[in-house]
Amino acid sequence: MLKILTQVLVNGILSGTMYGIAAIGLSLIFGTMRIVFIAQGTMIILAAYGSYWLFIFLGIDPYLSIVLVVPASLILGIGFYQGLFRKVARAGQFPTLLIAFGLMALLENLMFVMFTGNARAVQTSYASYALTVLGIKVSFVRLMAFIMALAGTGGVTFFLKKTMLGKAVRAASENLEYAMMVGITPHAVNTITFALGMGLAGLAGVATATTYGFDPFSGFVFSLKAMIALAIGGMGSVAGGLLGGILLGVVENYAAFVLTGGWADVVSYAVFLLVLMFKPEGLFSRDVSAKL
Amino acid sequence: MSRKSLLLLIVIIAACCAVPFVFDPEKSYVVYFLFMASIYVTLAQSWNLVAGYTGQVSLGHHAFFGLGAYVVAIMWSRHLIGYLDPIGFILAGVAASMLAVLVGIPLLSKLKGDYFALGTLGLGEIMRLITIQLGAFTGGPMGILLPSSSFGTILPHYFIALFLAVLAIAVTFYMARSHIGLALVSIREDEAAAEASGINVLKFKVLSFAVAAFLAGMSGSVLAYYIFTVEPQGFYGLNWTLYPVLMCVLGGAGTMTGPIIGGLLLTAVFEIARYFLPEIHPIFSGLFIILAIMFLPTGIMGLRPRTMQREKGGVSIGRLLTKRAKGE
Repeated sequence: MLKILTQVLVNGILSGTMYGIAAIGLSLIFGTMRIVFIAQGTMIILAAYGSYWLFIFLGIDPYLSIVLVVPASLILGIGFYQGLFRKVARAGQFPTLLIAFGLMALLENLMFVMFTGNARAVQTSYASYALTVLGIKVSFVRLMAFIMALAGTGGVTFFLKKTMLGKAVRAASENLEYAMMVGITPHAVNTITFALGMGLAGLAGVATATTYGFDPFSGFVFSLKAMIALAIGGMGSVAGGLLGGILLGVVENYAAFVLTGGWADVVSYAVFLLVLMFKPEGLFSRDVSAKL
Repeated sequence: MSRKSLLLLIVIIAACCAVPFVFDPEKSYVVYFLFMASIYVTLAQSWNLVAGYTGQVSLGHHAFFGLGAYVVAIMWSRHLIGYLDPIGFILAGVAASMLAVLVGIPLLSKLKGDYFALGTLGLGEIMRLITIQLGAFTGGPMGILLPSSSFGTILPHYFIALFLAVLAIAVTFYMARSHIGLALVSIREDEAAAEASGINVLKFKVLSFAVAAFLAGMSGSVLAYYIFTVEPQGFYGLNWTLYPVLMCVLGGAGTMTGPIIGGLLLTAVFEIARYFLPEIHPIFSGLFIILAIMFLPTGIMGLRPRTMQREKGGVSIGRLLTKRAKGE
């Protein structure tokens, strides 16, 4: 029994990291621009398709495709900000939310027309390989996704904490007016943040392509899960996003184990509402006053 | 509303009533178009009451729409009510507003701004998932098939939908013009000041939320009687929130006419796109949303001169949003 419970815990942590990286992307974008970017999940699916087609047509290993998919996503992120959000970035969350929704509908249906609605999955030779550690089975691709999520989180944290550009992003998300006073250009910061968020979506996309089956419309659920992870972890904190995702994954897996699979999502939304109501600043938020 | 615009409204309603007698409802597309437009106008106007007037941005309108549809479907499939039963419509509205009060009291008292929007988004998803999980009671993921043999003509649906749209406009008009409207707008403009002037903020927020839910639930039940297949993906779809939101924002939130114009215009765009580009129309709908927001963020009514707006007592969403962006 204890073994099963540990197995569920491990599965939860592994699947939760996926929500985690999606949540960090959302959190960065929300933190600097107050944009609830609900197209994040759809971007992940787009990146997953990128990885999938590279594998099918060119035989490029999904993990190798990171070097193509992530830079492409970064560039797409710059394009999205400059083309879509620059003009309305400070017009409040509503126009931006609707633009993000329009983008989601556009991308979903574009993918549907171009790639059909068939569910896809990258079938690598190692897809079903699993390690056994102390009697606990760990799927190789999920472990890789976990490592990629940790690497992505680490990279973003390093960028935000140690580089000048990253410090500028943090300054702008904490207080835009003061940041502008010391010479930080909001549009430059926003562009960087958007590119980072999309880059993380690219990474998450590769991880998704290798671990789950996906179709053009599976992005929205991803966005919702990322938002829940964000609400649990606290808006605007990178580590909080990852921890929130992991916690959500664990809760979901235990709920699926105790109840049935279908109720797991209901439980996760209930947790979401409860957290929003009783601890709206998130469970792992350090600085409560600055985030609202 | 002046005597002139009241007259105009009566003329428009009369024209809408005459439409099915001029165009053959069996052959012409016009009646179906106005039917869908009426449903959307009802939804957009009810959302306008919560977001445009009270300033509480809800993304859970589809929860009420779907609940209304399911109330009718569950009761009709068990022969508790009949085809196009008035009791069905009323119960659908009552159930939706009961849900609104039930979740509105905790959500509206605790959450503000983005957090309220996210919370209501979660509400819609919970309703959809619970409906799928309830199995035999709600028909699970396949939904409930209703006896479509009872369908004769679209005419009753058309008039009911039209009546609902007029009701939504009338209710919004009445609420906006009475002391309730003053309270709602003051909550939108400055919640702390409203509270300080003795307004029971939570009471008025929940009231507008419940009234909006009532209208949304009723429009859901009308569509359930028309489509005959009530399933979770279709009736708890996020489109039932986002299209009305878009219509309202495009037309001008916080104005009486904005949602009407936005609703008619966008229903036309979506239907034309669906007719001429059946395969790829959602692409164009998505594109249209982006373009509309980028180039017309304050809504069509926001284009009118400021003085006219003040006369109408409305506020374009632009002002509401800049205020929001400043973090007030």
